[in-house]
Amino acid sequence: MCNPEEAALLRLEEVFSATLAHVNSLVLQPLLPAAPDPSDPWGRECLRLLQQLHKSSQQLWEVTEESLHSLQERLRYPDSTGLESLLLLRGADRVLQAHIEYIESYTSCMVVQAFQKAAKRRSEYWRGQRKALRQLLSGVSSEGSVGASLGQALHQPLAHHVQQYVLLLLSLGDTIGEHHPTRELVVNAVTLFGNLQSFMKQELDQAVATQALWHTLRGRLRDVLCTPAHRLLQDSQDVPVTVAPLRAERVLLFDDALVLLQGHNVHTFDLKLVWVDPGQDGCTFHLLTPEEEFSFCAKDSQGQAVWQWKVTWAVHQALHGKKDFPVLGAGLEPSQPPDCRCAEYTFQAEGRLCQATYEGEWCRGRPHGKGTLKWPDGRNHVGNFCQGLEHGFGIRLLPQASEDKFDCYKCHWREGSMCGYGICEYSTDEVYKGYFQEGLRHGFGVLESGPQAPQPFRYTGHWERGQRSGYGIEEDGDRGERYIGMWQAGQRHGPGVMVTQAGVCYQGTFQADKTVGPGILLSEDDSLYEGTFTRDLTLMGKGKVTFPNGFTLEGSFGSGAGRGLHTQGVLDTAALPPDPSSTCKRQLGVGAFPVESRWQGVYSPFRDFVCAGCPRDLQEALLGFDVQSSRELRRSQDYLSCERTHPEDSVGSMEDILEELLQHREPKALQLYLRKALSNSLHPLGKLLRTLMLTFQATYAGVGANKHLQELAQEEVKQHAQELWAAYRGLLRVALERKGQALEEDEDTETRDLQVHGLVLPLMLPSFYSELFTLYLLLHEREDSFYSQGIANLSLFPDTQLLEFLDVQKHLWPLKDLTLTSNQRYSLVRDKCFLSATECLQKIMTTVDPREKLEVLERTYGEIEGTVSRVLGREYKLPMDDLLPLLIYVVSRARIQHLGAEIHLIRDMMDPNHTGGLYDFLLTALESCYEHIQKEDMRLHRLPGHWHSRELW
Amino acid sequence: MMAIRELKVCLLGDTGVGKSSIVCRFVQDHFDHNISPTIGASFMTKTVPCGNELHKFLIWDTAGQERFHSLAPMYYRGSAAAVIVYDITKQDSFYTLKKWVKELKEHGPENIVMAIAGNKCDLSDIREVPLKDAKEYAESIGAIVVETSAKNAINIEELFQGISRQIPPLDPHENGNNGTIKVEKPTMQASRRCC
Repeated sequence: MCNPEEAALLRLEEVFSATLAHVNSLVLQPLLPAAPDPSDPWGRECLRLLQQLHKSSQQLWEVTEESLHSLQERLRYPDSTGLESLLLLRGADRVLQAHIEYIESYTSCMVVQAFQKAAKRRSEYWRGQRKALRQLLSGVSSEGSVGASLGQALHQPLAHHVQQYVLLLLSLGDTIGEHHPTRELVVNAVTLFGNLQSFMKQELDQAVATQALWHTLRGRLRDVLCTPAHRLLQDSQDVPVTVAPLRAERVLLFDDALVLLQGHNVHTFDLKLVWVDPGQDGCTFHLLTPEEEFSFCAKDSQGQAVWQWKVTWAVHQALHGKKDFPVLGAGLEPSQPPDCRCAEYTFQAEGRLCQATYEGEWCRGRPHGKGTLKWPDGRNHVGNFCQGLEHGFGIRLLPQASEDKFDCYKCHWREGSMCGYGICEYSTDEVYKGYFQEGLRHGFGVLESGPQAPQPFRYTGHWERGQRSGYGIEEDGDRGERYIGMWQAGQRHGPGVMVTQAGVCYQGTFQADKTVGPGILLSEDDSLYEGTFTRDLTLMGKGKVTFPNGFTLEGSFGSGAGRGLHTQGVLDTAALPPDPSSTCKRQLGVGAFPVESRWQGVYSPFRDFVCAGCPRDLQEALLGFDVQSSRELRRSQDYLSCERTHPEDSVGSMEDILEELLQHREPKALQLYLRKALSNSLHPLGKLLRTLMLTFQATYAGVGANKHLQELAQEEVKQHAQELWAAYRGLLRVALERKGQALEEDEDTETRDLQVHGLVLPLMLPSFYSELFTLYLLLHEREDSFYSQGIANLSLFPDTQLLEFLDVQKHLWPLKDLTLTSNQRYSLVRDKCFLSATECLQKIMTTVDPREKLEVLERTYGEIEGTVSRVLGREYKLPMDDLLPLLIYVVSRARIQHLGAEIHLIRDMMDPNHTGGLYDFLLTALESCYEHIQKEDMRLHRLPGHWHSRELW
Repeated sequence: MMAIRELKVCLLGDTGVGKSSIVCRFVQDHFDHNISPTIGASFMTKTVPCGNELHKFLIWDTAGQERFHSLAPMYYRGSAAAVIVYDITKQDSFYTLKKWVKELKEHGPENIVMAIAGNKCDLSDIREVPLKDAKEYAESIGAIVVETSAKNAINIEELFQGISRQIPPLDPHENGNNGTIKVEKPTMQASRRCC
């Protein structure tokens, strides 16, 4: 059964549809040709707006026809067609949208007075149509202008129509009763169309106010402010408000901008970037913008409420890009605009951001979160911001003078400056990797020239406020030199060691890049020069030369005409050969660079990280980037630019690392854990070790592989082991504190040494072994050469003759071990006696762990004793009278290369707690074998002569 | 817990005079819970009380053959004491002893305690070195002197007690070269015996 309201709605739609058609043919169609001159900018704008109005009118007519059709269907087939089939109920949103678009187009035309302008161009025509227009405007005075009448004709039927919608739908709701299944739909439609009524009135009011504003503005102001899309929401001339610190004469709030007029100046603020800050007292509130802050003060609290509400609402709408229906006083509080927003803005004020455009996340007037900054000069910054400043990870590009070249910084920032770890790739192809502070290189860092640089160099060391300072290593590829020593203000300054490709070493004092005072120079042939030197390391002035054979030349030196060193002095040929520790085995730099302070720039960031409690956001800033290859670093750059999710899985979570520490404290588990941690480039300890390896190679590889640096290197390795252990303890303390526990009281020296030498040092030695062992090889090259000769000579002996030659007691010879062939005799057997001990000793070369090497020695002794006990048929404790000859035999059969280097490395790296103990004894015994084999009678003894064979026969 | 001082002791003397036998006897006598591992008779340890301290002797044997004399500095380097052994039945071994004393005086560690042991006193019937000669020599160089018999365990303990008494007290402000301070918990270990 149909309701009377439905029939009424049907008639209403019929009338409205006819009215729309009539208005279109009577008003809109004639208006289009009458639009102002298209050659005029304003004319073009009016034409565009009128065309838009015409289009939205068509859409409104179409939706009305559709609604009419649904009503007709309902009335024709009431039994099979439900009430909900009506478009006004089912598709209320669509009807609403058509009305909204129409009214927005209409008000835009109204603001620019398009109707008046069009009417002027064909005034005779419209004067003739006055009577027809009057028929559309029932109840309206006929004294209005033609333009005003046109406007009325385009608006009044719509307003009337929507009003009728509301009335009829309300009545329909009452008629069908509260229990009708479609009632909710009807109630909802009433609400929507009621809101539409309010919206329409609001839009008209704003349009009228905006139009009125246009009349009050002149010249440039009018051109700047009066655009069709602008709607005036509030004017300080209506509700007075004063603005501080700017003394604005007038404040205009538009739907997309806040405008302050100050004399001839216009200050415009995009509402997307305006934050409202409620004031403390009832008459004032504050506004935050990217570059300025204002206090708004009204005469009374009511005025303040109006302004604050209007601005808040306008900001809210600007951010959402669409208009809502609430009006002032409706009792509906607008939701507060979010503090965090995304927007683009170009800075104007003088300062570092002048003319820069920021696009990204904002918070309360400042860049905050992820964003991009671009300057007109080509500078570019992508990264994280905090309170308006760069903070966190960021990438900055700085264009350079040469075309298409730029510096690229990938760095951590703090409060607008680079701070923490970063990588900078310069337009010159140089690369810096290290720490920054306040935008300058500071702390540890490596600066390296590009691969094709004409003068290649690399500096690895400490920086201070952008300059080399403190301990650092510089490799000069062009001169084939490496400087190891102190720097100040970018220059060599203080104690330093210079090592050259030619094997020349200099130690002395530098000042402003020049050598000053006395120094020493060692040449590759182990000559020693003492005196003062030029930059080219030539002896100058008083000095002394000690030659390898002990001769000394003392006097005055200089470079004369031509080549070579000129001297006038005394040659002393009676001197004894020099003490090796002052020439061929002299160690440079020891004491000049205390080992504890050498690499503080590497340790400090780690300590800072631990002291801060290992916060995740500082992990990369203090420990370096979590990348395993440069490709991943590039991906990191992409992540910033493309807003991609950072691959969390590639980073070992700091929480997981700390948790794992607590699960691996028992000695065996700890060893396995540390082994994994140190080899993991993502683990803090692994990163620390990796950096230390880098510094070690920068110092002791290549040109730095020089025997005079061996002491410097070995003490450095041991220091690193101590620091790594301290680093582990630091992480452990943080892990325990997170559980509310405390680390046990400080470990004593003995326990720490045990852990350092027994646990950490073996695990990290492989990382340094290549460079370190090379230094030992070079230092002990001469002795190892003699030893090799001895080994080679002793290898010529068959087993029994060697045992006899070495004075091994005959009753200890393991002849029963030998299995002779039918033609073989004992005297011809070779490499069979004490074979198990020999093979055991050879294992000393298969490990870099000093403790394992010592354990090999212990097992070797066990094999010797076992063999002897078997020979004697009883347990026998070998005194040294018996053991040493046997050990020499085994060592000569084992033929270990570079035994001298091995022995000295073990001694330097072994736990000092072993001093005087079992391992010290074993190592000393091995060393005495080594010394013995170097002796002349070992190296030069001849095989027995032919007569000896005859005698046996 | 008592402070333990580790004292390195070096054995010097001709082959066959019984250097290691003396130490084996010393180590195996008097049951002790704190015997550390040894290398046969070449390296042995034993801890004994001395006043308020425990002295842990780290005893290094050396090869007495003439051809190995030049290697001895590696062994006595850093020693707190040296036990120089001769055989009372062989005058030559006493001559060798004097050479060792001279070397220690010239090249050995400063303040090293020297103890002279005339071993095999159980064979006094074929003595070649009068006790009077040994005592006079020891007195002239400021050394401890005892005649010992490893076979019969004569004066072995006294020899090492004498060394302990001669060891200078440790300066509390520094670690002396003669040993280091360690606080060690006694541990039960199976006693290893030697013949």
